[in-house]
Amino acid sequence: MRGKVKRKRMVDYGRKSFILLLSIFLLSMLVFYMARLAPGDPLVAYYGDRVEKMSHEERVWAEQKLGLNEPIYIQYGKWLKNALKGDLGISFSYKTDAVKVIHTRMANTLLLGGTGLLLIFGLALLLGVICALKEDKWPDKILCRIGILSSCIPEFWLSLLLILIFSLWLKLLPASGAYSVGREADLGDRLIHLLLPLTAVVTGHLWYYAYLVRNKLLEEVRADYVLLGRAKGLSKRQLLLRHCLPNVLPAYIGIMAISVPHILGGTYIVEAVFSYPGIGTLAYESARVQDYNMLMVLCLLTGVMVIVGNLIAQLINERIDPRIRKEAGRWNS
Amino acid sequence: MEQLNRDSFRLVGIQEVSDLPSMERPPWYKGKPLPAAGFLLLLILGCLFCEGFIPKDPSYMDLTHFSLPPGKTFWFGTDTMGRDIFSMVWYGGRISLLMGVLAAAISALIAVLYGAVSGMSVWWMDSLLMRLSEILLSIPGFLFIIFIQAALGKATIVSIAAAIGSTGWMTMANVVRTEVRQLKSSEYLLAAQAMGGGFFYLLGKHLLPNLVPSLLFMVIMNLRNAIMAEATLSFMGLGLPLEVITWGSMLSLSGKALLSGGWWMILIPGAFLVSTLFALTSLGNYLRKSMNRKESNL
Repeated sequence: MRGKVKRKRMVDYGRKSFILLLSIFLLSMLVFYMARLAPGDPLVAYYGDRVEKMSHEERVWAEQKLGLNEPIYIQYGKWLKNALKGDLGISFSYKTDAVKVIHTRMANTLLLGGTGLLLIFGLALLLGVICALKEDKWPDKILCRIGILSSCIPEFWLSLLLILIFSLWLKLLPASGAYSVGREADLGDRLIHLLLPLTAVVTGHLWYYAYLVRNKLLEEVRADYVLLGRAKGLSKRQLLLRHCLPNVLPAYIGIMAISVPHILGGTYIVEAVFSYPGIGTLAYESARVQDYNMLMVLCLLTGVMVIVGNLIAQLINERIDPRIRKEAGRWNS
Repeated sequence: MEQLNRDSFRLVGIQEVSDLPSMERPPWYKGKPLPAAGFLLLLILGCLFCEGFIPKDPSYMDLTHFSLPPGKTFWFGTDTMGRDIFSMVWYGGRISLLMGVLAAAISALIAVLYGAVSGMSVWWMDSLLMRLSEILLSIPGFLFIIFIQAALGKATIVSIAAAIGSTGWMTMANVVRTEVRQLKSSEYLLAAQAMGGGFFYLLGKHLLPNLVPSLLFMVIMNLRNAIMAEATLSFMGLGLPLEVITWGSMLSLSGKALLSGGWWMILIPGAFLVSTLFALTSLGNYLRKSMNRKESNL
């Protein structure tokens, strides 16, 4: 009996990894075609203005060197072969391996985005529970008002506002960069630089998730078992935290995982405003100089992060909610 | 044994009701988002007919009066290029709103078609289409818009609206698909199919009317997101060129504004943008709330 269950689970994991690989493959194909079909001369990104002075022969030679003269599907095949070896092509504007350029900036983005995500996750849960406990009383009402307003403020404008207030008027916090010049290893300095971007990222997204938790909890509170619990003499707080919250959690984690691209996208914009040396600033610069190879790798990278995040969320959910595990046998679930 | 009487029990879960429900009908405006609707109406009218009341030409660059704080001649001040912000805000709102509407319409159209096709087709096609939309959803919207916009070529109002619109339909398509799946097994739909109704007939006659209530809220939210996306893109210098006045392109000067301490160049267009978004959100939330909720058991 146990062996059977185990085997079933193995099959399930196998199917999931297959879907994962297929998704990543489709995604890579999509971004590759989009990058190649996009207008703008990739030669310009590589050689700059010199392209205009090139003779026809020089152009052909340059295209051959960069592998731009073959049909797209052959280019894609070659690229895929290299990509499997970890070589994702070169950035046309940086003229080195795209991976190398990304590598140095990835840590910064992960620090900002990761901390932001964790903060959003925790704070949204807290605010949602407070709102659900005090439904339609003043704490709930005030939090709802503030929350709706904060969800209407675009991240870039919030960032500008923060710079205006804290850097320009109060002169408390630095307005740009990830560290002061020459103090790269200073943790405190990095933290101070992180403070404003982090605030912008968290406030921009917090409300959406807090509201989600609140609404899910309010739905849950209307179930019959809550009435039974109250009749048994359980306190409101006990019921909400011990009985309702665990029921809501899987859906919340699932949505959180799906929204990773949303939060990442927000991080990118905030990064660009604060000129924080991360992936977002890189994407912004690449878009301006039409470095599609770089953009493509960035798209792919974020896509992979999201797909993997989705999978992790599914696994976590199965751990905490046995109902999902039972349904997992079906392809559509 | 201790005596049990009424006092040793505590009543839980009762809803106290006063003896007589009040016979007075609540006034018609109760619970309606009147301030938001009023504000939006004013804004739209103001933007449409701005030629009637704006004091200056919004695109005229007055090089002798640049970066002036709000004052008597320039009510909201001037920007670093010497343009009058009061005139620009109204004039630019027109394009910002127009692009939002256009983008929301495009994404609604794609969402309904895609969702309905997915919902009506066989299970493997359905799975495939839903997977595809999930994959598209996994690319951050910001990068996706840059890509599509690049593929569409030169930045015009239509091309950017199309780029924004073609990134916002995935969640909505999912909702449409779920609803269509539910409707699909209903008898009247089966009857219509049996009598030879084609896909577009079914969509227009039977599916759409059922979809409208749940879509209305999402369309408003899409409109909001589109306006926000346009502002963000133009702000980053990836959207419309600086000469085309929108709230976003006005804010794209804010780098210079920060250097010269010109808070009004950041705060005023931003305030217009945020209050529009806020009004739209209130309207959307009202639409969603009009589906009533049950009483709490807590």
